[in-house]
Formats: sequence, C-alpha cells, structure tokens
Amino acid sequence: MYKIILIIKREFLTRVRKRTFIIGTILFPLLYLGLIFGTGYIANKTREDLKIALIDQSGLFREELIRSVNGNDTANSLRLVTVSPEKLKLSFDSIGYDGYVIIPENFDWRSGVDTIKVNTKKSFGAGAIDPVEKKINLMWNKIKHDSLGLDNTKDAILSKSVTLKLNNEKNRNADAGIASTIGYVCGFLMYFILLLYGSQVMMGVTEEKTSRIAEVVISSVKPFQLMIGKIIGIGMVALTQFLIWIACIFIIYNVTKTTGSGGVASAMVGRIQEVFTSVNIPLTVGCFIFYLLGGFFFYSSLYAAIGSAINEDMREAQSLSFPITMLIIFSIALMTPAISNPSSPIAVWTSIIPFSSPIVMMARIPFGVPNTVPWWQLGLSMLLLIAGFMFTTWFAARIYRTGILMYGKKPSWKEMIKWAFRK
Amino acid sequence: MNILEVHNLKKYFATQKAVDDISMSIPKGDIFGLLGPNGAGKTTLIRMITGIFYPDEGEILLKGKKFDPENDVKYIGYMPEERGLYKKMKIGEQALYLAQLKGLGKADAMHKIKDWFKRLEMESWWNKKVEDLSKGMGQKLQFVITVLHEPDLIILDEPFSGLDPINANLIKDEIYRLAQNGTTIIFSTHRMEQVEEICNHIVLVNKGKKILDGTVQGVRQDFKENLFGIQLENNPETISSPSFEIIGTGKLELTVKINEGFKPNDVLGYFMNQGSNIVSFKEILPSLNDIFIKLVEGTPTARQFEKVTT
Repeated sequence: MYKIILIIKREFLTRVRKRTFIIGTILFPLLYLGLIFGTGYIANKTREDLKIALIDQSGLFREELIRSVNGNDTANSLRLVTVSPEKLKLSFDSIGYDGYVIIPENFDWRSGVDTIKVNTKKSFGAGAIDPVEKKINLMWNKIKHDSLGLDNTKDAILSKSVTLKLNNEKNRNADAGIASTIGYVCGFLMYFILLLYGSQVMMGVTEEKTSRIAEVVISSVKPFQLMIGKIIGIGMVALTQFLIWIACIFIIYNVTKTTGSGGVASAMVGRIQEVFTSVNIPLTVGCFIFYLLGGFFFYSSLYAAIGSAINEDMREAQSLSFPITMLIIFSIALMTPAISNPSSPIAVWTSIIPFSSPIVMMARIPFGVPNTVPWWQLGLSMLLLIAGFMFTTWFAARIYRTGILMYGKKPSWKEMIKWAFRK
Repeated sequence: MNILEVHNLKKYFATQKAVDDISMSIPKGDIFGLLGPNGAGKTTLIRMITGIFYPDEGEILLKGKKFDPENDVKYIGYMPEERGLYKKMKIGEQALYLAQLKGLGKADAMHKIKDWFKRLEMESWWNKKVEDLSKGMGQKLQFVITVLHEPDLIILDEPFSGLDPINANLIKDEIYRLAQNGTTIIFSTHRMEQVEEICNHIVLVNKGKKILDGTVQGVRQDFKENLFGIQLENNPETISSPSFEIIGTGKLELTVKINEGFKPNDVLGYFMNQGSNIVSFKEILPSLNDIFIKLVEGTPTARQFEKVTT
C-alpha cells in the first residue's frame, strides 16, 4: 500500500508541477467560453447578406413598402427595379445584386403564389434566403392588412401571442433552460476530462514501457500497483483541476453578488444567481466528482491496457484505442437526446449502463433529483459504474502485466483478450 | 551457504520453452556469470529470479527460504539490459523515488544516495534530468540505483555496454568491493573476456537448458586440449617426436599438442636433447570464448519458434 502511495505521489506531483497543468487550468475555461461565444460570433459574422433586385409585375409591391421592410433589417436589402427581366438576367450581378426575384403578374393579394424563385449565379447556404423570404411575406402581410382595412390598433391586437412557461409544482425553482445548459456543460466537461486524461494515462504507460523504466519498477512493485498508482495519480490531477474550477466559480459568484451592479454585469449576475437557486449545486458537484472518478477509472484502465500493449509507434495507439474512444464519443452523442427529453427510456437506460452513464447521467442530474432522476436510478447507475470500473481494472491489469514487458509486434485486440483470460 | 538456489525451473511461452528445467545454486559472496547466446532464456530466467515472472514449474530459494516476490524484492537489485529511467525526472528525485519503492525510508535513502553520488563523482547531477546525461552517465546512474538499497543479490545484465574504459573500471572496482562485503553478484553477458576476468562461477545456458556449470578455472581445465606454447631461442629445422604434434608455428613460439599418454616433460626432454634453448613453456587453456563458441556452435544462432505442449 505504501508503495502505491509513493507511485500516486510521483504521478500527481510531476504532472501538477508542470507548467502545462497551470496553463491548462487557466486556459481551458477561457477556451471553453471562447468556443461557445466565439462560434456564435463567427456564425453572426459569416452570415451571408443578400442584395436582391425585385421586379414587380403585379403592381402590389410599392417602393415605400420595400423601404419600410428594409429599415428593419439593413443587412439584407431589397431594391425595386423597373428593367425588363431579360435585361436584368444578363446584368444583375454586374450592377451589384446577388440575385433577383420576379413577382409575377398573377400574384393576387388574397391567394398569392406558391413559390417565387430567387435567381442567382452563386450558391448560398441553406438559411441565406430566409431573411428575404421573411421580408416578402412581411410586405404581403401589410398588403393584406391594407386591403382588409385593418388599422394599426387592430393590427396590434392580431399580432398578440402568449408565451408558455413550464412550472414544476414539486420543484419550484426548476428551470428547464438552465438545467439543459448545466447538463450540456457537465456532459461536455466530463467528455473532455475522460478523453484528455484517459489519453494521458495511455501515453504515460507507453512512456514507461518504451523507456524501459517499467522493468526496473516492476522488479520493486507488482505490475498492478504500478498501473493503479498511475491511474489514481492522474485521476487526482483531473480532480484537482476540476476543484480549482469550482472554487473559481464560487469566488466569481460571491464577488459578483456583492459588487455586481449596473449594465451587462448585473444581467450576468442575475443569470448566475438564477443558476444557483434553480439547480441543486452541492448534489450536482458531488455527483460530478463521483462520475468523474468512476468514469475516469472505467476508461483510463482500458487506456492503460492499450498503453501497455503498444510500442513506440503512436499510430498503433490510435488504432487500438479507437474502440474505447468511440465509446466516449457515442456517449456524448447520446447526451443530446437525453437533455431534450431527460425522462425518456433511452436517457434512463444509457444513464444507468456504465460506459455511457458518466456523461448521460451528468446531463440529466441538473433537471432535478429525485423528480427527473429518481433515487433508484441514481443509486443503480452508481453501483453499476463501480462494478464496471472494477471489472475494467481487473481486465486491464491482466493485459497490462503481460503487455508491459512484451516488445515487438503490436498485439491485436483478440490477442489482448487472450492475455486477459489466461491463467 | 547458497544465497540463491533454483530447482527445475520452467517457463514456457506460447511458442517457446524459454526456460526448460534449469537448476543451479549460487554461493553467498560469489560473482556469478550467467552466459548464453541471444535468446537463450537468460532474461526470462532473471525475470523469474527478480519476481517479474512467476515460473510455470520449479522453485526458487532465496537465502534458504522460498522466494516471496512481494517481500523479498528488497534483497535484490536488478539492472536490466535495456536501461530504463524517467527521462524528464530530476536525477536526485528519481534515485530517491526508486530507492523508496525498494522499501528504503526517505532519510536513509537520501543518505545513501548522497554517499554514492559522492563516491562516483555525480554530486553535480542532482538537479539535472536524465535526458541531459550521456549514455555512459546514464549507465552509471542506473548502476547506483541498482545497488543503492544494499541488496544481498545484485543482478547485472550487460553492465559495461556503453561505458568507456575509465568508467568501466570504476564500476568493476565497485563490483569487487560489493562482493568483498558479502554481496552476491549475478552477471549476465556474452562478453567472455569480462567473465573470465571477473567471475568465479559460470553457468552457460542455451535454448532454455543449462549446458555448462562450474568455476571459470574448472571449466577451462575441463575443456583443455593439452595445448602448450613453447618458445625457443632458435627453432630447429626439423621437429618430429611421437610425444607431440606441432599445430601452430609463430615467429618465436610453437604451439604443440601433446599426444595421449605423454607428459609435458616429454616435450621438454625432446627439445633439450635437440640442444635447443627453451625460453618459455606454458600451458594454453582454452578461453571461455572458445568454449562458448564450441558449445553453442552448430545450434542455430536464432531459436526457432516451436509448438509447446505442456
């Protein structure tokens, strides 16, 4: 036992003292936020703005109507032109239009026409013409209203609508929007940690094997001790990183609670406060730590087994670890349907089966325990995860003890399984 | 007293009988040579003695008791042929870590490391990393790490490869010093001249089986072919005697093989009768190298894969 602690200490300290750990701890949340906001920003920036010429043969779409709808959304503009369609067809792109539409003569204000073509010379993305469509329909609406004799007050009455909001009577504070956001954050965080630290275990084992230190160490400790020491040590590193992030969130929360006021900051604070009141934070954090460690032991022992089987060539690592990585990716794919319907059978069962439970269960827990996730499901899921990682550790240890001293050809999965079940 | 006894040890792999019924015993304080061509089963045998592998059959007795890998590893120091150290770890910390893994307390380990580093002039290495060391320096460090916890049995696999003569002598002196203090050393190599120089006992292994066991002198005596070197002031023009045959003529020295039933005195008598002045006369014992080649030659250089049925 003392020797395992020594190994854990070494694995932990050599990693935590590295500059990459400190940088990673600071940079990862920034990158993570950057990814979320950045993609939104880029999507906004790269939106295709269309400049469309409009030939009106029906006589309904008048200049001032077009001007009024252009005022709402200046990025996509419509311009009324009076040349003949044949002439426009030849020259629209050279005079600066992306395309043109022709409102046909038979366009009636009561029935309209089914489709109108936007003629272009380039290809555009799927949603690119939506704003144009919206504008034409908006104009037609105005035409309809004018023709029906509706004034602005009647118009306003017609456009009134009601917003639906979920009210969970058992759990006053539940908010599906916030719960799904937290669910996504938890699920993805788990995914990144499992993949990142899992591959660290794999590379660590391979490094020990190829630098032949394994043989020196194994003449002092049992192979199992070396493997489990490495897994626990790296698991502690992952946990430390997570706890630092949690501590940071609490500091931000407390600082903003006392000082945050005015403008954007207060809105942000409001959101954060809302999160804290609507989600059971201690339970979520506690479960996250459990599933983080459970999932990590489950996957990293398999990664350790692969690390022990391969030699210097990193491509071997990729091809052998592919099935394991696929399991993690499959779990993240299961997360989205689980969040949109956290009580569906697929969400329930994938959050109980060990390989997908760390990610899927963490996506469900923010929706509320025991309302969305009954205690029996949580308990069963945890028990199965413990059983699962005990099995994978046992299985991996048996591959490891053979693989770590075996040099030469890369074994296949079949051979590795043979090692595991040999007496 | 024998520090290590191995009885009928067997280890079969899927395609090879790596170690096939080997028995040997090594007295305390001995410098013992474990010889054999590549792939003979030396490393597998050593791995069983160091507790890395469990034998399929047979038993290992360490200090007279059944070998218990869990608790007995502290009595053994093993330096594998392929050197292994953490490349990115500081040398001092690394030595401390590996010594603690062997069961040494921190203060004790620290004291011993300082002592060894001082003796082998490695004090300035403490905060360096292994990747900063040359191959020979790494070798020295590996040796120190192997012997640090004062094991009773030290197993060295090709300890001198990559060392320059000065450092090789340094290590050799340390080996002698350790042996004098009662440490037993197993020396696995195929460099015969080193074995002849250092070892008392040898065992030769080939194809998983022991084919030779004895003291270095005893083995050389056993394999001697009655060859003598004789140096004369001036070689007579014709030499012919029933007592010996000349099998080699050097510039000043003749190599003679004494025939069955004759003694060296017969050879000397012949030359004295001829009136030749004898400058020197000595027995030529076969070198271990010759014996090694003689015994191993003829068997395929590489072991063939075979089907193993147990």
